[in-house]
Parts: sequence; C-alpha cells; structure tokens
Amino acid sequence: MVVVERKELSFWERIYFPAILKGLKITVSKMFAPRFTRQYPEEPLPTTEVTRGQPRLAVNEDDTIRCVSCGLCEAACPAYAITIDGQETDRFIEREPERFDIDMLRCILCGFCEEACPKDAIYMSNELELADFSREALVYDIEKLKRPVSALQDRIDYVKRINDRWQTSSST
Amino acid sequence: MTWFWITLGITAACYGAVIGTAALMTLAERKVSAAMQYRYGPNRVGPFGLLQPLADGLKFIFKEEVVPAGANPFIFKLAPALTALPAMLAIAVIPFTGVIATYEGTEILGSIANPDIGILYVLAVTGIGVYGAILGGWASNSKYSLLGGLRASAQMVSYELSLILSVLAVVAMSGTLNLHEIVAQQSGWLGWNIFTQPLAFLLFLICSYAETNRHPFDFAECEPELVGGFHTEYSSMKFAMFFIGEYTAMVVMACLTTTLFLGGYLVPFWPDAPWFVGLAAFGAKTAFFLVLFIWVRWTLPRFRYDQLMHLGWKVLFPLALLNVFLTGLFVSLGSGGN
Repeated sequence: MVVVERKELSFWERIYFPAILKGLKITVSKMFAPRFTRQYPEEPLPTTEVTRGQPRLAVNEDDTIRCVSCGLCEAACPAYAITIDGQETDRFIEREPERFDIDMLRCILCGFCEEACPKDAIYMSNELELADFSREALVYDIEKLKRPVSALQDRIDYVKRINDRWQTSSST
Repeated sequence: MTWFWITLGITAACYGAVIGTAALMTLAERKVSAAMQYRYGPNRVGPFGLLQPLADGLKFIFKEEVVPAGANPFIFKLAPALTALPAMLAIAVIPFTGVIATYEGTEILGSIANPDIGILYVLAVTGIGVYGAILGGWASNSKYSLLGGLRASAQMVSYELSLILSVLAVVAMSGTLNLHEIVAQQSGWLGWNIFTQPLAFLLFLICSYAETNRHPFDFAECEPELVGGFHTEYSSMKFAMFFIGEYTAMVVMACLTTTLFLGGYLVPFWPDAPWFVGLAAFGAKTAFFLVLFIWVRWTLPRFRYDQLMHLGWKVLFPLALLNVFLTGLFVSLGSGGN
C-alpha cells in the first residue's frame, strides 16, 4: 500500500492568485511564439523526389511522347484506371498512344505503372492536388497528363538510382 | 419630437456598438485562443477573418431547427430569448461617455437612460439572465440539460450575493446609485474605485466571471461532463441566441467593471476631456476586461463543483461582508467617503 502524504499548502498557494498570475503570464507569452499551422493553399506541403503523386506522361525535348502504347501499365494497374488506344506513327518507334486516359478517381497512386513501363514514359509526379466539380473532369486525357521531361527529372533520376541498386545488389 | 430622434440615435448607437462588440468577441475568442495554442484561428473570411461572425450568423440561420421529443415547445423556444434579452436590457443605463452636448438647456448624456437607480436596475435585469439557462435546461427533456440548468441556478445564487455586496461597498462610498454620478465621483488623483476598493474590485471581477458563466466557472455548459449543459439540445438560431446572450452579458459586465472601478469614461490627468476622448477611454478600459475574459478562459482549468461552492460561500461571501463592514465603518467615521 502506498500512502501519499498530502502537502500542506502555504497561504500564498491557497489564495490562488500568484498561481493564476503565473498562468496568465505563460499564456500571453505564448501568443507571440512562432505558430505551427501551415497555411495550406499558400504554403503547400514540401515534396521530394520520393513523393508518389499522380502519374504523368513524360514528353521529350523535341515534343515527342515517350509512350509507345504497349499497354503494360494498363495491365499492371490494379485499379483499372488506365485506358490506352494505340496508333501508328512515322517516328522510329512506330507506335504512339492515340488515347491515354487515367481516371484519377480510380488511381490509387501505387506506382505500378511507373515500374511496369519499359520505355520510361510514365512517372509518378509530385502533383498531389485533385479537385473538381464533376467526375468526368477528373478523367485526365493525354493532353492533361503530358509533362516535359525537365519537370519530372528529379523523379526520373530517383527511379533510375533505385533500379540500379536492385540490379547490382548481391541478394538477388 | 427632436428629443425622440436624439434618444433614438443614442439608442441605436449604443446597441449597435455593444452587439457589434459581442459579435466581434466570438471572433476574438477564437483568434486569441488560437494564438495561445500556436495556431492562426479563422483568417479566411474577409481581411484577418473579420467577417467570420457574419458567416457564422448566416450559417446558423440556414441550419435546421430541432425541438426534441418530450420537450415543452413554448418554454423551449422562450429560453434563448430570456438569455439574450436581460443582457441587452442592461445596456440601457451604461454610461458610455459624459455630456455630449447641451440642447434646450438639458444635457445630452452618453447613455440611453440615466435613472437614479442605475446600478440597481443593472443588477435586477442581469439577475433574470439565469432563467434562460434554467428554463432551457428544464424544457429540453434531457438529463444533461437539466443538470446544466440546475448548476447554473445554484451558481448564480451563490455568486450574485457576493457580487451585489461588492457593489454595495462602492455604493456606500459614493452615496448614490446613479452610474453617471458614481463615475463623476472617481475623478482626481487615484480617485478610481480600484484604488480605494481593491478588495471589492477583485470580488466583483471573480463574481462577474461566474455571473456570465465563463471559465473557470462555466458549470452550466461544462462540455466534458454535461455535453454542453443547458444548450445541448438547441440548434440553429436558438443556439446562436444563447451565444449572443452570453457575449452581450460579457460586454455588459466589462462595461460595468469599468464604470464602477476604473473611472468609466474619465481620462487620467485630463479632467476636461471632450466626450469622444472619454468614449475612447471607456472603450479601451472595457476592451481590457473583455480580453481578460478570454485570457482567463484559455489559461485556467474549470473548478470542481464543490470547489466552486466552497469558494463562493466560504471565501468570497465572508470577504464581501467584511469589505462592506469596513467600508461602512470608514464612511460613518467620515474618513473614507469622498
């Protein structure tokens, strides 16, 4: 059994006021302390190359899309968010997508499409904001998905680094 | 007819100022509490969130009104009005400033009315304020609301006594119940009643927190135990009415503290200050007490119920009696009265 000795309060402790004044001093001093809140739309969350945002299609410097509409991402997508129709092109790679839709409401940002892509054409960007007034507007077509390589460069380097590590590791 | 328009103008100005201040207080409460907790508070509606009270009011109007089953509809609807009304009635005698102008040989004073029983009137109407909480709590047909109402009534009885006794000391010194005269008698070097009646000031301040149901005495609401107390079952504009009543009562109490103890509209070291300077001085003093209301709320924890009763009856009441006795002694000996 533990016997707790109750401390006898002194006169100044019993009349509360010194303690109340001390408390008031603490709260008023905290009013001028730096604040923790992030003012979100003005101060967006910082992202890094590891951030797995919405998938985007890489476009080369000469305005040609890297995608050859092989359909591997479509097959890899666990949420069936990707729809691709291919067409022929005069370029050396011979095929390019005619239609490339990602339903952003279905996309679960897993990054499987990025891993499946053999042509380094689709990457998880650092774009995270997704809001609109209708479901139709959130099915992104190819024009909405195109991003220049320069905008995705950090992610491209990161994915390359990770893949290289796997290829050279001794455990596989 | 001219007097009618003058009175109407003063009435509109006073009510607009007090109720506007009460609305801004809801914003100030959130802003100050946010700052004390390292947050920003509402800052989206209008510059610095200044239009937030308007947005809140609009939201309340469009909310659904729910009257719980088994509630007494008439009293249930009456209670919010009974909370808001007394606080607004009390505005009528608060002296916001001194003589504004003289018209047809009569002075136009900076208050709606100037009855000789000013302070008595204020105490009488603010005393009605607790009926809103009691009736609202009873008519809701909810245990929590009933407990909140009961606590409000018990607390009001215990604290109003000390409140009135602390005012009595001031009245004994001034020898008048007229608020304008009480203010006028506080002129001069260290003439404010806070210097001559520090104990009464402290008692009045503590009791005014209990009177307005504010922390650390907000037992009628008491979120953790009573889920909001007497206004648990209220929704929509009726809920907002309770808030308007509470905040208007706070403004009135702050005005009253200023009037009784801080020299009201008197400006220190400038006895002949024009009326608008007096008004500004009154506003500044009142603003301090309003901020103090918020400041204390976000600093102190709520009392336990038995501690509340202990403080009220065994500490504040004897002290108030002692203060009245000492004041009476000094006044009758002719050394303490002004």
